[in-house]
Amino acid sequence: MTLDSKIPSGPLAQKWDNHKFASKLVNPANRRKHTVIIVGTGLAGASAASSLGELGYNVLSFCIHDSPRRAHSIAAQGGINAAKNYQNDGDSIYRLFYDTIKGGDYRAREANVYRLAQSSVSIIDQCVAQGVPFAREYGGQLDNRSFGGAQVSRTFYARGQTGQQLLLGAYQSMQRQVAKGTVKQFAQREMLDLVLINGQARGIIVRNLITGAIERYVADAVCLATGGYGTVYYLSTNAVNSNVTAAWRAHKRGAFFANPCFTQIHPTCIPVSGEHQSKLTLMSESLRNDGRVWVPKNKGDKRHPNDIPESERDYYLERKYPSFGNLVPRDVASRNAKLVCDDGHGVGESGLAVYLDFKNAIDRLGHDVVAGRYGNLFEMYEKITGENPYNEPMRMYPAIHYTMGGLWVDYNLMSNVQGLHVLGEANFSDHGANRLGASALMQGLADGYFVIPYTLAHYIAGASIEKVTTDHDAFKEAEDNVQSRINKLLAVKGSKTPRQLHRELGRVMWDDVGMARNEKGLKNALAQIPKLRDEFWQNVSIPGDQNNLNKNLEYAGRVADYLEFAELLALDALTRTESCGGHFREESQTPDQEARRDDEHFTHVSAWEFKGVGTAPTLHKEPLVFEEVHPSQRSYK
Amino acid sequence: MRIHLTVWRQSGPKDAGRFITYTAEDVSPDQSFLEMLDVVNEQLIKKGEEPIAFDSDCREGICGTCGFMVSGIPHGPEPGTTVCQLHMRKFKDGDSLTLEPWRAEAFPVIKDLVVDRSAFDKIIQAGGYTSVNTGGARDANAILIGKSIADAAMDSAACIGCGACVAACKNASAALFTSAKITHLSLLPQGQVERTTRVVNMVAAMDDAGFGSCSNEGECEAVCPKGISLKNIATMNREYWKAMLAD
Amino acid sequence: MRALRMLGSSVGNKLLLGLTGLALFGFLLFHLFGNLLGFLGPEIYNEHAHALISNPLIIPAEFGILAIFLTHIYKAVVNYWKNRAARPVAYGVKKWAGGPSRKSVGSTTMIWTGLSVLIFVAIHLKLFKYGPVYFEAGTGVRDLYRLLIDDFRRPGIVAGYVLAMFLLGLHLRHGISSSIQSLGLMPESWTARILRAGIVLAILIAGLFAVIPVAVYFGAIR
Repeated sequence: MTLDSKIPSGPLAQKWDNHKFASKLVNPANRRKHTVIIVGTGLAGASAASSLGELGYNVLSFCIHDSPRRAHSIAAQGGINAAKNYQNDGDSIYRLFYDTIKGGDYRAREANVYRLAQSSVSIIDQCVAQGVPFAREYGGQLDNRSFGGAQVSRTFYARGQTGQQLLLGAYQSMQRQVAKGTVKQFAQREMLDLVLINGQARGIIVRNLITGAIERYVADAVCLATGGYGTVYYLSTNAVNSNVTAAWRAHKRGAFFANPCFTQIHPTCIPVSGEHQSKLTLMSESLRNDGRVWVPKNKGDKRHPNDIPESERDYYLERKYPSFGNLVPRDVASRNAKLVCDDGHGVGESGLAVYLDFKNAIDRLGHDVVAGRYGNLFEMYEKITGENPYNEPMRMYPAIHYTMGGLWVDYNLMSNVQGLHVLGEANFSDHGANRLGASALMQGLADGYFVIPYTLAHYIAGASIEKVTTDHDAFKEAEDNVQSRINKLLAVKGSKTPRQLHRELGRVMWDDVGMARNEKGLKNALAQIPKLRDEFWQNVSIPGDQNNLNKNLEYAGRVADYLEFAELLALDALTRTESCGGHFREESQTPDQEARRDDEHFTHVSAWEFKGVGTAPTLHKEPLVFEEVHPSQRSYK
Repeated sequence: MRIHLTVWRQSGPKDAGRFITYTAEDVSPDQSFLEMLDVVNEQLIKKGEEPIAFDSDCREGICGTCGFMVSGIPHGPEPGTTVCQLHMRKFKDGDSLTLEPWRAEAFPVIKDLVVDRSAFDKIIQAGGYTSVNTGGARDANAILIGKSIADAAMDSAACIGCGACVAACKNASAALFTSAKITHLSLLPQGQVERTTRVVNMVAAMDDAGFGSCSNEGECEAVCPKGISLKNIATMNREYWKAMLAD
Repeated sequence: MRALRMLGSSVGNKLLLGLTGLALFGFLLFHLFGNLLGFLGPEIYNEHAHALISNPLIIPAEFGILAIFLTHIYKAVVNYWKNRAARPVAYGVKKWAGGPSRKSVGSTTMIWTGLSVLIFVAIHLKLFKYGPVYFEAGTGVRDLYRLLIDDFRRPGIVAGYVLAMFLLGLHLRHGISSSIQSLGLMPESWTARILRAGIVLAILIAGLFAVIPVAVYFGAIR
């Protein structure tokens, strides 16, 4: 099967406009006759629900939380990029497009990324109209900052809570549609299967998490906006309920999973403090603007950092990358932290941390200036660690933060399954092998506000959609499938908790499929994961029953899916023998330990087709064609 | 550390609940409160007992999902902190703590420490937005907003909707939550068009949901993990009588 | 029409409570002024009372005050019951949050101190307004001063009055600043001052009202 990305013809800058014009429309009077299911209420899901509701479709919105406003987009701190060029510093749609393609290490589609950069401009307008309180200058204009090493100031922000404010804006718009009746909101529902009729995605099976009831919902099209799969590593900066389940069940129904090995590690997170740790907390990248990263020169130096003299400190980023210093991109900073720790220079009890030191900054700028810039982050750090960063260096270690891979979609955000659309982090489309800071929010909102309203109409207007109800056999089959899996989970009655098994999976993934990967490790992971999966199905313990709120049952179901998905991630990492972006294969590096791409063999998207649990999936390749930008090796020396 | 816990256990919305005591052993001061509960739950599961149900998601204090009473104070004793960010180093070996769900007519208990806060969605549905459709917005910089106004709006918009304000209030009033959204939007030029109807409808929705009224005690402000100020409620009241006079 | 309906909401309720509360606070100040004239002797005291009683506007004014008083009570009771209904199940353990909270014994007992004041007002009216009528010799001026001296020589009445004023003080301690907050007239830069002023005024008003019976009892006013 060849994957048709449906990229419109014509010059890059006109592709989207041409495509919008060529797309079919749904008559306003007919829209209410079309039902659309949207799973997930983060930036992508909530913005899609509100804009499709405004257009008059009958939208059914589902989320696992007690309110749509809880989705994990809310935790994004830094900001959202847009090519507004308000600062007159040379930004443009083309530059944002170029930076994103390059930042993604040439593993994203040009046409998608260009559309993303185009939409970024309207996103800011839309959010401001909604009342999102972006930071302002004294003159009343929007303030911008440079983020993640970008050379222009194009990041819009609302304190350290940009994700929260953007999500609340989308959520509020969606609530407006709920009040109008165009959007029906189903909170506390977990999608557990996708229903296909005549090869089209026509509905979902959900579990009502409060009553335990299995419910069927039918629609003309289904949109998944269910986020990323970072918690496959157990510890990540993702929320503890984030999961791959909806995407994975769709995958098992035929949707291809693309580039699962493209995972992003964030270099500055608070290190693990013990076995009990349930998640990792990110500290904004901006800390590296003034903080200096170092480790002791002597291995296993257990002295208090303040007692280690300057001459015995190794400021390794400044040493290795004189021009970028502490501001090298996320993947480079992360990998170097791992290198020094693996080499025995790590600090803290676990030896898995490096220092991020503000002493110089405080001496140079004064306590107050540093407090003004980073005060809230320092407070957060102190709350979690009990240490005061004004007096001693912070300890930092990289953690899984974002997943670029996801369900394969074409230019219309439709997967290879007719009618199944995938938005936001759940799809694979726009960030290639590495996402730039402040681009996740941009993509989620672009997909929901400015892409899906057009492309979904095109699908609905063009497809022949049979009239069916939830009595259709396909619904019964899917419901039975869901029910039997739940029964199977509850019947195990073993002695290990889902969390224990999840933690074990996480350790395998982090050790062998983490920041640096090699063939031996990946093969080890591929051997370990099925064993863990077997153990899970023989030994998981889920007390209680399925007829009420049973968080442990929900959790077990998600871990079970991760135990299947993890294998695909490792396999994808094994197959891609090049290093690119967040995917670093130790076999593919330059003599000075930098990532080396293999454009000849890997300028493609790897889209995997499910063939059964424990059966090798089939790989489909979508070649990536670069007409505008010519791939080059990144260098930050 | 060893911590003694007295926890409200209630199997379902219609069941009677009761307090049951547990002991958390070997608690590390570096654990968060919820991680301490995770460990207690692991032990319960291994014994084949149902774990204590509590809500949480981001575990970094921004999503607003977590929250219950820790010895009579929402989110526990540390000011400006959600219970997921409360760390065990704030407690002493041998401490006895009582954990209870938020209690309010508008927040029925679902199970153990989990309550249904969909009433907050209903309040927002009544007008906590600007009625602008996607697509037609003018250039963002065409609306000038002074820095101090934008900052004040952000102060109010920082609410995470956790419900601690309702839990702390002797009247189970949602005035702080409601007023924060009203204030956020009434400060901004974008919110002016619907300013009058918004306050009227949101207050009505708050009453319909079964929340009480504000007694101006400010317990809500004191327990709010985001420090949302009582002045938001003053603003709501002022907006309200202005709306009344505008009628 | 909508405005009337709005007065029935929780915020409307509190607006009315705040407005009537402030009006009653004004009435208290005026009443206190009259009382304090007692220190200046019977002539001035009775003259002030007479000026009020003989004014043809006194009847409508009294009805006005009564209406305000009843509205205040009615709204407070309605409010109280609605608030009780908002938390049908009490906490097993509940603590005061401390910190910036304004919660006080006064704020938690508003309904009880308020209802106590209502009972007090009934007794007070019975004792004074509808009590024994004396006239200053040879004039038509009612000698309320004599009544004052008579009543406040009885220790039970003095004790009752002092207790009532203590409860009134508690009520005002929260009530004065709270009514300003309810009306939304609490600018941030003034909040701390208004809160302090509320407490000082409460102590002052309750204290000065209580001073008179005590002064009579101990013979400072005779």
